[in-house]
Amino acid sequence: MSDVPRPLKIAGQSVRRRDLVEKVTGAAEYCVDVTMPGMLHAKVVRSDRAHARILEINTGEALAHRGVVAVVTAADLKPLFPRFGHIIADHWILASGKVRYYGEPVALVVAESLADATDAAELVRVDYDDLPAVLDAEEALAAGAALVHEESYPATADDSFKILAGGVHETDASVEDRPTNLAHEVTLEWGDVDQAFADAAVVVESQAGYPMLYAYAMEPYNAVASYGDGELRVVSTAQHPYMVREDLARVFGLPLAKVRVIAPYLGGGYGSKSYTKVEPLAALGSWVTRRPVKLVLDIEESIYTTRVDSAQVQVRSAFAADGTILARAFDIVMDSGAYADNSPLVLAKCVNRCFGPYRVPNLRVRGRSVYTNTAPASSYRGFGAPQGNLAGETNLDRAAEQLGIDPADIRRRNLVAKGESLLPGKRGMDAELVADLDMVVASLERDRRDEPGYGIGFGCAASDAGAFPVSTAQVRIQTDGSVTVLSGSTEMGQGSRSLLAQVAAEELGVDLDQVAVVQSDTAITPYERTTGASRTTTLVGLALQRACADARAKIRQMAAEVAGVSPESVADAPGGVELPDGSTAGFGDVVQRWFGGSAGEVTGIGLLRREGPTQEMPPFWEIGMVGVGVDVDLETGHVVVDQLVTVADVGFAVNPKAVEGQDLGAATQGLGAALYEELVYDGPQLVNANVVDYRVPRMGDLPRKIDLMLAERRDGVGPYGAKGAGEGTLNPIGGAVAAAVARAVGRWPTRLPLTPERVWRLANGIEEDD
Amino acid sequence: MLPRFDLLRPTTVAEAVGCLSEESVPYCGGTELLLAMRAGLYRPSALVDIKRVPELRGIRLRDGVLSIGAATSHRVVALDALVRGQLPMLATVEQGVGNARVRAQGSVGGNLCFAEPKSDLATALVAYEASVSLTSAGGTREVLVSELIQGAYFADKEPDELLVSIEIPLPGDHDAVYLKYQTMERPTVGVAVMNDRSGRRCRVVVGAVGEVPVVWEGTDPSEVVPDEIAELVDPVVDLTGSARYKRHVTAVYVRRALRALEGSHPS
Amino acid sequence: MIEAVSFLPITLTVNGVEVTRVVEPRTLLADFVRDDLGLTGTKVSCRLQVCGACTVLVDDLPVSACTYLAVDADGADVRTVEGLSDGENLHPLQEAFVEKFALQCGFCTPGFLMMSKALATENPTADRAEIIEHLEGNICRCTGYRPIVEAVECALARMRKVPSE
Repeated sequence: MSDVPRPLKIAGQSVRRRDLVEKVTGAAEYCVDVTMPGMLHAKVVRSDRAHARILEINTGEALAHRGVVAVVTAADLKPLFPRFGHIIADHWILASGKVRYYGEPVALVVAESLADATDAAELVRVDYDDLPAVLDAEEALAAGAALVHEESYPATADDSFKILAGGVHETDASVEDRPTNLAHEVTLEWGDVDQAFADAAVVVESQAGYPMLYAYAMEPYNAVASYGDGELRVVSTAQHPYMVREDLARVFGLPLAKVRVIAPYLGGGYGSKSYTKVEPLAALGSWVTRRPVKLVLDIEESIYTTRVDSAQVQVRSAFAADGTILARAFDIVMDSGAYADNSPLVLAKCVNRCFGPYRVPNLRVRGRSVYTNTAPASSYRGFGAPQGNLAGETNLDRAAEQLGIDPADIRRRNLVAKGESLLPGKRGMDAELVADLDMVVASLERDRRDEPGYGIGFGCAASDAGAFPVSTAQVRIQTDGSVTVLSGSTEMGQGSRSLLAQVAAEELGVDLDQVAVVQSDTAITPYERTTGASRTTTLVGLALQRACADARAKIRQMAAEVAGVSPESVADAPGGVELPDGSTAGFGDVVQRWFGGSAGEVTGIGLLRREGPTQEMPPFWEIGMVGVGVDVDLETGHVVVDQLVTVADVGFAVNPKAVEGQDLGAATQGLGAALYEELVYDGPQLVNANVVDYRVPRMGDLPRKIDLMLAERRDGVGPYGAKGAGEGTLNPIGGAVAAAVARAVGRWPTRLPLTPERVWRLANGIEEDD
Repeated sequence: MLPRFDLLRPTTVAEAVGCLSEESVPYCGGTELLLAMRAGLYRPSALVDIKRVPELRGIRLRDGVLSIGAATSHRVVALDALVRGQLPMLATVEQGVGNARVRAQGSVGGNLCFAEPKSDLATALVAYEASVSLTSAGGTREVLVSELIQGAYFADKEPDELLVSIEIPLPGDHDAVYLKYQTMERPTVGVAVMNDRSGRRCRVVVGAVGEVPVVWEGTDPSEVVPDEIAELVDPVVDLTGSARYKRHVTAVYVRRALRALEGSHPS
Repeated sequence: MIEAVSFLPITLTVNGVEVTRVVEPRTLLADFVRDDLGLTGTKVSCRLQVCGACTVLVDDLPVSACTYLAVDADGADVRTVEGLSDGENLHPLQEAFVEKFALQCGFCTPGFLMMSKALATENPTADRAEIIEHLEGNICRCTGYRPIVEAVECALARMRKVPSE
């Protein structure tokens, strides 16, 4: 924004987060707490096969059960558009003809009570004829593999996907003649890669496996839906209520304005609640019964609803003797499960992000997202970056070791400078990466211990974040000068409710407690494309600043009319205006006097699109700079994290403590993937579809030292020079832990998580199958 | 949502025993039973709530034997002055079971009846050569815990029998330690060492790693060869490790337990 | 002969208010307080006793309400997150959680608060290691835990100064 920042009063303060008070008293309303009058309860009948033809669904016994109102199957979908999916509408609301994964919804039992629905769901009998299944990406890509989808589906009309995918070239598998299990393929290439490899002093080849994860947002997927009189109202755990609205409008053939989607507080999202999940099922239940229907999944069902794409990545990099990168080549295969969901974009982002924030003069990346007969995968915090970054950073660390160069020095030599291009045609780097890295390394070195089993590692990441810059915001100025902020951005724990209040208070010069924020109700709040890609502070913040400016302009005009002076002579003042005679009037006075009768309201509107500061994509680069120090028990392979060091290069922290909270939270999830978390399939079924056996970070895993640093250089396009946060810190954690463990035990891992047994085998050179 | 069941609430052991059958099972803390029922693994038509039977609660010392009522919670055992004074290792084990909620809800009897293979308690009790008292309409029998635990989730207890109490003979001059290796929700391996100096007996018990605790017996800790004990175990392969790894960490933890035993007794 | 019952009346005190209801034996305390009493502050997540989100106090002891039969609370004093504050001021634990940013999405928070309340009753001088040991059985996916430890440390210290809490 402006070069000379004006003094800020509220932005930049670690203010008390307003949502936290109602959350600690139990008063906060989450979707799972929402009821509707006359509400029925639904229970999903799920496939117990990975891949099978549905011969018959016998619903008679269930229908006869006490309290059961309806048993809905694919047959009920006939009058509707039966599938959803914002990129490829391939996702059947209820399995039709065949099931594609264990856990897929086959029928929905709707009853007067949850107990009745649950009891009756056990009485629905489904006869199957098993089909050969492809249970991992390698099997799925093999010649003659069974097909997860025999038919191809047209892509939806949403062209922003192509813009978001960025520089990559797409080969949309769905348009090919002969269907395969390739859901999506993208490539990215520049320079003369083969020549660069031929000229290299050193070529380093490595591979990295990123585990299949579950985000474990603690509130499971749930929704309450009410259909009636040509209108549909849905309350759900949706990060992106407007995107869900589009899917629902298509399914039921309704105008967008007749579909209302509301997202109250979300009990965690982390990307896993992006896009449509259970909303069509609940809505279908209501459409059939014409009564409100509530559907709450349990955690096992949630795991089978959306997991994280696992990835196998092969890397080759060519270096000059001094460590300068000459070329890099990546081959990425993602296991995306039975339906596309957002995996095509996760893949495209992984392709853009795998080679790191480095000058790579010659690059070739091939990425493939593969359908398998497993639970569908989709967005997760970091969005393809963690999968790719692990491969790229580990390869760089191995190169440093081979070249005899310090791993920090090889990065300093290759990191792009501020303003330098990272992806052709994209925004230049808006951060000072070497300075950030130096902060990380200095902190790590300060507390590193020189003893057996101790190792440090660090990593760098830059993500083309922010998503597609379409955002709208409104402020409504009341007769007493208080302010209502309206935004379609969802509060899922990240703190946007508080942050938007800070921005509005700052812009309008009113006290923070005079600002109310209303979010995520498509009937009330203005359009917001998504709540993801760390976009809210930057993009919604900009839209809100514009809404405030618009409100101020209107107020100045009204004040001029009331006072009988020219609008140009009226100046802004904190919470109001200053008139040419030096007197001031508060917003409320102006509103009351202009309307008369102590009534009225002024609405300011802020619109953001791809133009001006947000013309260039991405809106900002989200930086990830982290380091870890680990203590490995060399006898057992158990890893204890001794140090966790992060730098949040956020341009400007509107609420510094909230930024720290995002960084520690993201880093902790990254540590989970690095050390503990992995969904494991044994045959068609997961062996650990629960939180006992899917091990997430616990309080006892707290690193001994946590150093969360902020780098505020006001170099972002957002309000006050802000850029997004919340994902960056997760992205390079995997590579940092892999390097730290490698240095502690003397061998390089090729996959995460680094469970005790894997580390023990690594330390002792024992193969996994030995 | 749990499947439907009826509830019975006896107030004496005799009444409780009269309620038991294949279909009608003892219920106390529910920390194992209710989970198994929710998972659909178990579907009794009635639960016999034994929490209202006073005889099944409490900890008493009688003739050199510490008797713990089956319905006593882990928490109560962990905090009990008698247990802490006489069998400090058991108190430590009970303080480390599950989490604070499981310790408040779960009963020692339920833990044994379920024969959960990763039970810390069973391993410790086998080290103490404890037994349980099982009562049915036909009478009462005493079974060593080492014999009660027959396999994973398989205890030598008939459906009409009620586990009434755990009986632990107090050892004389002794040292005992329990050390577990736990990286997930439940332990990978638990090692109990019980060195009864007055009786010149030493027992090493390894639990969690296999379906049932494995016992090594000798006269003195110096005779223990950790690698040999590791060969005795029959590891269950799961997400915490392969058989090879589990054998390896068994030896490591036997070694560490012996070291801790030395440290626990300033001689 | 002891009679098997399929429905039974229970009377208990919840946050100081006596309630009587007829329930099925299979009714879980979590569903009872949420659905029957409308006290939705208690949240349910893992349903396996390992995440701690559903923690409530029964006679001052923490239990997983997702795996605790409502009939077992018959005659008991049950306290949920709604009963933590006096209705006027936040409880010191609540205040410290807000101050220290010890929550983000807040779904795990009622459980952490009730577990911490149990700790404050049982061990008001708990140190950092004891706090971590006590709260190890509760999962938070947002904060990375450190702010929670700091909040509990801070609240315990304040409560020691004001013994009435």
